[in-house]
Amino acid sequence: MTDWTETYRPSSLSELRGNDKAVKGVREWADTWDDHREALVLHGSPGVGKTSAAHALAADKGWETVELNASDQRTADVIERYAGRAANNATLGGSAGGDDTGGRQLVILDEADNIHGNYDRGGKSAVTSLVKSAGQPVILIANEYYEMSRGLRNATQDIEFRDVGARSIVPVLRDICRKEGIEFDADALERIAERNAGDLRGAVNDLQAVADGKDHLMLEDVVTGDRDRSMGVFPFLDLVLKESTSAQEALQSSYEVDETPDDLTTWIEDNMLKVYDTEEAVRAYDHLADADVWLGRVWASQNYSYWRYAGDNLSAGVAAARDGTKGGWTRWGRPQFYHSTSDTSDEVVRAIAERGGFSMDTARRAVLPYLQAMTHHCKPRALTVEMAAAYEFEAEHVSFVTGSGETTNKVESIVEDAEDLRAERMEEHSGGAFAGVALSAETGEHGDAGSDDAGDSEDGQTSLADPDGSAESGESAGDAGHDAVRDADPDAAEDDDGQSGLSDFM
Amino acid sequence: MFKAIVSASTLRDALDSVSVLVDECKIRLNEDELAIRAVDPANVGMVDLTLEAAAFESYEADGGVIGVNLNRLEDIAGMANSGDLVQLELDEETRKLHIQIDGLSYTLALIDPDSIRQEPDIPDLDLPAEIVVEGAQIGRGITAADMVSDHIRLRVDEAEEAFFIEAEGDTDDVDLRLDREDLIDLQAGPAESLFSLDYLKDMNKAIPKDAEVRVELGEEFPVKLHYEFGEGMGQVTYMLAPRIQSD
Repeated sequence: MTDWTETYRPSSLSELRGNDKAVKGVREWADTWDDHREALVLHGSPGVGKTSAAHALAADKGWETVELNASDQRTADVIERYAGRAANNATLGGSAGGDDTGGRQLVILDEADNIHGNYDRGGKSAVTSLVKSAGQPVILIANEYYEMSRGLRNATQDIEFRDVGARSIVPVLRDICRKEGIEFDADALERIAERNAGDLRGAVNDLQAVADGKDHLMLEDVVTGDRDRSMGVFPFLDLVLKESTSAQEALQSSYEVDETPDDLTTWIEDNMLKVYDTEEAVRAYDHLADADVWLGRVWASQNYSYWRYAGDNLSAGVAAARDGTKGGWTRWGRPQFYHSTSDTSDEVVRAIAERGGFSMDTARRAVLPYLQAMTHHCKPRALTVEMAAAYEFEAEHVSFVTGSGETTNKVESIVEDAEDLRAERMEEHSGGAFAGVALSAETGEHGDAGSDDAGDSEDGQTSLADPDGSAESGESAGDAGHDAVRDADPDAAEDDDGQSGLSDFM
Repeated sequence: MFKAIVSASTLRDALDSVSVLVDECKIRLNEDELAIRAVDPANVGMVDLTLEAAAFESYEADGGVIGVNLNRLEDIAGMANSGDLVQLELDEETRKLHIQIDGLSYTLALIDPDSIRQEPDIPDLDLPAEIVVEGAQIGRGITAADMVSDHIRLRVDEAEEAFFIEAEGDTDDVDLRLDREDLIDLQAGPAESLFSLDYLKDMNKAIPKDAEVRVELGEEFPVKLHYEFGEGMGQVTYMLAPRIQSD
């Protein structure tokens, strides 16, 4: 038996039901692809036609497709091997002039928000570099737009597919019934459409399940149990922290939430104090602490059966810590460290640690705070540029350290200047290497002055004036000292216009 | 009906040349030859292989098609010493391939040929330049290029009558120049295209070092590499689409 969702998959964008605006957007993206060459993200609930739209687009444009979805393992290697190769090469048929697509093919990466850290090792960063370097149109398909990393989101265009209304679903079901030669009660189709609120594919699947093999579909046939739906985190928080009357009810609900106990624990912990009073909180924290102990055991032993004890504690335990129920509406917040800053902060800390030659822990605690204080709100600017150059920071990193908005002109111009500065240094450095003894003696002297200055000033400086002798850091030290002696030595070989040294600011 | 006896080294050479592109393939068991044609999942590289009946010790077939998992078949063929003979027999009842090597017998489950990616049509190309060169020379160029970059430029200079293999890395460059006297034959024409080393590296593994490789090249067109194996009774053609030039 063939799947009706496959049999009746639209073969052209014009056949796609619902989401007219999104479809138009997809078409426009494809038509203008030559100009912008950016990848596209289609996101929306399951079953609304994202994958169909991608394939229909390829059919309309006469492009071949290469698809990678969650049933394939998607490690960096696999993505590189299939999608990466497809994205950087012309197709055989097209490049040979067999058709007029010029060797174009569409790379479709389905379920792009579900690339798992461990199973698909390195997959996320491989996808990001894929979309940045692709020479072919790439479509990423995702349910949760914000599950994808910011780097990926910034490098792509996005189009949202909204849920398909019951009114758009009914005609589709009607068409299918006619083509299959099945008579139907209008009520029955409406019932199916309503029950699948927004999920066109689900509706077609349900229709096939009840109608296949029948001549006539009646309302009675359709009255079956509703399918399981997972519970959102917010209703779960309402239930556990406010509404549940028994620990068991809270526990049951935790089974229906589609989140891991790790995440649920942080959700609960971050939101509990908004509604619990002091005594309740004390008891609840006991249970959260126990949950955390179990999570630690899971982590240490990799035995995920312990998850259930974490689950017991975080749901039943926390619910039982509450006296009575609570009313009103509460604005639940996303756990603080959850996705928001951690990636960027880690990148920043890693860059500092690598350049400085110390551990990430040291970089985080002994260097980063100083950098943050020294370059607060990008002031002084020259120092911020210097820092961005030394650590090769991107805009988001500079914004993280200085606390200035990422997309502001200030930050962008600093990043640009930092790049220029790096390029200049690179040239300067090779010049020095070839020019011989006189010059290297001079830079050596400058280097001394620089590291003295920096070393005197504060610990945080060690990273810039790092003595490990690597090219850039040695260079930084050299330049830092350079300004200090510039007046005395106007004939310095390098011309450092626009280049200020650290010592100017201390 | 299919029954054949072939030397292990010939079988291995044949399988190796296909397995660099795909994991599964269809094998056509024609009356006078065995033929494989496959395109890689990314639709960029293609292989077309024929092994004449004369390359076998004995060969009987009536035009069936079987689907095989190449890795498995390669593993089994790897059990034989190079002088050994491999006996292949298709059991049409059970759709399995019986393989016998010097007392060792292996039954290989076949794959439904319909589930394997369709065989590509070979695009009809008129490529202006043709270079005939030793496999070892190409291997040298590819190995050197691989040190600096992930793509490679193949170029024919009409004025200088020379074939160039060039690679440009972020910092370093590699350039192999082969003049007419270094080549077995050269038919100069305007030809210059960029290719992915990923593919060429894999193809290069399958190309015997002492084989004569006939390279057909155009401007931003796929390249064709032809070579023979199994004492001239097996022919392989690789075709590789150009890399997209992005600057």
